Amino acid sequence: MLEFYEPQADYGTPKSASTAMVTLSIDGVNVTVPEGTSVMRAAAESGVKIPRLCATDQLKSFGSCRVCLVEIEGRRGFPASCTTNVEAGMEVRTQSDEIGKLRRNVMELYISDHPLDCLTCPTNGDCELQDTAGELGLRSVRYGFEGENHLVAEKDESNPYFTFDPSKCIVCSRCVRACEEVQGTFALTIDGRGFESKVSASQAEDFMDSECVSCGACVNACPTATLTEKSIIEAGKPEHSVTTTCAYCGVGCSFKAEMKGSQVVRMTPYKDGKANEGHACVKGRFAFGYATHKDRITLPMIRDSIDDPWREVSWDEAVTYTAKRFKDIQAQYGRTSIGAISSSRCTNEEVYLVQKMVRAGFGNNNVDTCARVCHSPTGFGLKTTLGESAGTQTFASVAEADVVIVMGANPTEAHPVFGSRLKRRLREGAKLIVIDPRKIELVSSPHITADYHLPVRPGTNVTILNALAHVVVNEGLEARDYIHERCDVAEFEKWRAFIGDERHAPENTETITGVAAADLRAAARLYATGGNGAIFYGLGVTEHSQGSTAVMGIANLAMLTGNIGRDGVGVNPLRGQNNVQGSCDMGSFPHELPGYRHISDTATRQLFEGEWGVTLDSEPGLRIPNMFDAALDGEFKGLYCQGEDIAQSDPNTQHVEAALRSIECLVVQDIFLNETAKFAHVFLPGASFLEKDGTFTNAERRISRVRKVMPPLSGKADWEGTMALANALGCKMDYSHPSEIMDEIARLTPTFTGVSYDRLEQLGSIQWPCNDSTPEGTPIMHVEEFVRGKGFFAMTEYVATTERANRKFPLLLTTGRILSQYNVGAQTRRTDNSEWHGEDLLEIHPHDAEERGINHDDWVGINSRVGDTVLRASVTDRVKPGVVYTTFHHPVSGANVITTDNSDWATNCPEYKVTAVQISKVTAPSSWQARQKSFDKQQQGLLKEAQH
Amino acid sequence: MSESKLQRLVSQVNQIALNMSANGSDEMVADQVAQHLEKFWAPPMKDLITQRAVGDDIGLTATAQMAIHNLVKIQQAKGA
Ligand code: SF4
Ligand code: SF4
Ligand code: SF4
Ligand code: FES
Repeated sequence: MLEFYEPQADYGTPKSASTAMVTLSIDGVNVTVPEGTSVMRAAAESGVKIPRLCATDQLKSFGSCRVCLVEIEGRRGFPASCTTNVEAGMEVRTQSDEIGKLRRNVMELYISDHPLDCLTCPTNGDCELQDTAGELGLRSVRYGFEGENHLVAEKDESNPYFTFDPSKCIVCSRCVRACEEVQGTFALTIDGRGFESKVSASQAEDFMDSECVSCGACVNACPTATLTEKSIIEAGKPEHSVTTTCAYCGVGCSFKAEMKGSQVVRMTPYKDGKANEGHACVKGRFAFGYATHKDRITLPMIRDSIDDPWREVSWDEAVTYTAKRFKDIQAQYGRTSIGAISSSRCTNEEVYLVQKMVRAGFGNNNVDTCARVCHSPTGFGLKTTLGESAGTQTFASVAEADVVIVMGANPTEAHPVFGSRLKRRLREGAKLIVIDPRKIELVSSPHITADYHLPVRPGTNVTILNALAHVVVNEGLEARDYIHERCDVAEFEKWRAFIGDERHAPENTETITGVAAADLRAAARLYATGGNGAIFYGLGVTEHSQGSTAVMGIANLAMLTGNIGRDGVGVNPLRGQNNVQGSCDMGSFPHELPGYRHISDTATRQLFEGEWGVTLDSEPGLRIPNMFDAALDGEFKGLYCQGEDIAQSDPNTQHVEAALRSIECLVVQDIFLNETAKFAHVFLPGASFLEKDGTFTNAERRISRVRKVMPPLSGKADWEGTMALANALGCKMDYSHPSEIMDEIARLTPTFTGVSYDRLEQLGSIQWPCNDSTPEGTPIMHVEEFVRGKGFFAMTEYVATTERANRKFPLLLTTGRILSQYNVGAQTRRTDNSEWHGEDLLEIHPHDAEERGINHDDWVGINSRVGDTVLRASVTDRVKPGVVYTTFHHPVSGANVITTDNSDWATNCPEYKVTAVQISKVTAPSSWQARQKSFDKQQQGLLKEAQH
Repeated sequence: MSESKLQRLVSQVNQIALNMSANGSDEMVADQVAQHLEKFWAPPMKDLITQRAVGDDIGLTATAQMAIHNLVKIQQAKGA
């Protein structure tokens, strides 16, 4: 879908959601639009453009510029069309000599205080002010340019991605309103009055020092060149655009990649993207420069040992070499001695091919995905209770939620565009319960205060969930009719007896969770009785030794209160990476084929055997931690790792590194020499999301197209690399385009039967299940009945983790993410996003810091039972006493050197969120950090030798 | 086939049994644990634990031990 560059259509004011229709006449033509539509929008929808400056359809109308005046039969004066709503029978005139004169007068005033440097202005030809002056036929400015003006106002270039040039500002306040209404940050204000009025970031600070989170909403909204992307200033206006999907988080925002030749000059959030509706965050909007970073490796490389220099080779040589090594390993150590790990950063088609190559080519089921270490408990927990491993509602339907629980998630940092949506709903009056050990931004931010913050002690989520359910049951607040109609009543009765036990009463759980009983009771009552209840949860729920139990506890709570199966309610895992949902859907776990069907199921296996022409192993394969253990035991010798940096992202780094060192042929396919690649024998150059076609599936099951905007730098997209390797192994694949892979997925997967690239082209995006009964997809799941039939109340016994604080390790470390960086940081660290977060910090409460003589910015050692590392301290009461917190975006931080091997009982998802530690002031890096530094230096040297 | 590997598996089975402990009687839990292992564990792991758990005291809790007996039966039924 390559298109010549055109700014996206703007109807001036937002669409009305009303179903009642109104007919009016505009310039003599009858127009029918929904009630509540503005005259401006009604005109635009019928093809008549009314000039405007302060209005844009992303924002509520404001009515300040007076450029949009019209005449309405029977009304006095000239009403502003943006603030006047349609009425039945209204007769509107958008053009007349008098209207033209009035509009030109207004325009003259604006232009008299605007530099006339259009020819050299970066947005020349893409400027609403310029266009409007043209539309109005403005030919002269009577007021002259000599009077008092703002033409010499100083430019603010502090933000790495956009500039603010106040000399060009027309004070339309679109930026201010965008920051408030769309983003919800309230970083901008209009200071002063009349001529003195000007846009100001926070307390008249530079953008970079202000509260601005660099989402770009104000830049999108600005009708002039006042707020302009630096990339546009440098490269000029785009020539063409391609619609694609963000490759960062699980919100799955849709973008127009705006191009000059094969260079991306801007990523503009796509208004028709259903996940984001024209909004974005600093990652997707601006942090795309990594794709052409000098560190990209674009040629395949091989070496016999990790102490050897790399050797650049052709794709043919690399895949032939790999295939031979893998075959030799299987001949020597057995069929199950090799396996693969795929990544949620890759497309559906790519992860599908990896699991196909493993099952059909390697002849075993040793395939796993990075979802193992994030949302595997979601898969287990939701499948057990509801029957499907997926979130139940759309992001948009949060607009109909009355009470929202955010648990173990930090949407404003990790899922920012959803965070903005949620904030909008909260500003409208929805209630909020935050369950998190930290005071995340939602607990208290401009115009938002959580009704309840339950600061749970890390590791005790299940106890909290049980206590919430206990209150609902014991106070008789459950949705009896819903339960009787929709759930397995016998199991419910069993569960009710369990949950009703006094040990789950908040008064008795207080000492375990650290959460006051009164707050917990009040929160439970609010969720059960406050109207539509929606739960959004993240890795703070899953990454525990009881992660699966907690997910089941969440599903229980939602069923108990009748909060699943309609708009505004549901259970929603906020997926970390762009395609976590998709990689799970595509059969990337060792025990199941695409569509979550167990490998032991003969009928399903036969279906795939028929299509693939092989016999499949009916036994589950190894999970990632099993692969590491088997490697250390000498039983697992070959690993193909696509797009996943296990050396940095998996827990207990030293254990992982030892396992990687014991692998005889480690193949890494990635865009950079990541931490894992430093242990590799074959490096296959990966392609960024800009270099390939495919699909991603976001956290609301929305399948969206990823479209190639530039050729792959290495000559092959990742699916082509996998296909080459599969063919070299004798597993025949001959796809000429990823659409053919999707066709195969659709043939084999009942929930995807109706999905095809053509259908995606027609509909824009599709939420699975999509088949004959739901040809346009399924926005809300479990509407009439649960996928498993009757909802199942699973028992949720709380089993405390063995990772406990004691005298030696008195504090609990928990981990999380920050807005500007993304996971292991391989992409965002190679962009200017590092200006916001150049290093990981250890957050520690003032009380704990004082006890240890630690000051803000001191270097501190963090010791756990498995390792130690050193970070700089940030003393803050965002964490509570007894809890410390860090992010994990920089390899040198070694956050996972301290995390342990503990894992979820059902899925082996690591317990990243609870590590007992001691903190002390230090002056030197840890011994692991020193080793990491010298290993990194050695490996960079070996890479350079290859590139000479 | 190292001892530490066996111990890892033993503690995992014990952990699974403990987390399922509220699901019903010990027999029912043992049955569910066995089904869980059958469903999610790779054959070398199942083989190692079933070979060693029969007769030997390898540190399994009573329910976990019962679960492994059930797993043996599942394996035998499949082999038959
Ligand atoms: S970039 Fe976003 S956060 Fe910053 S001022 Fe603009 S709208 Fe507000
Ligand atoms: S910066 Fe742009 S959007 Fe903001 S007031 Fe000025 S012209 Fe309007
Ligand atoms: S919210 Fe997520 S998907 Fe959207 S732009 Fe940001 S990182 Fe990309
Ligand atoms: S566009 Fe209507 S008043 Fe500005």
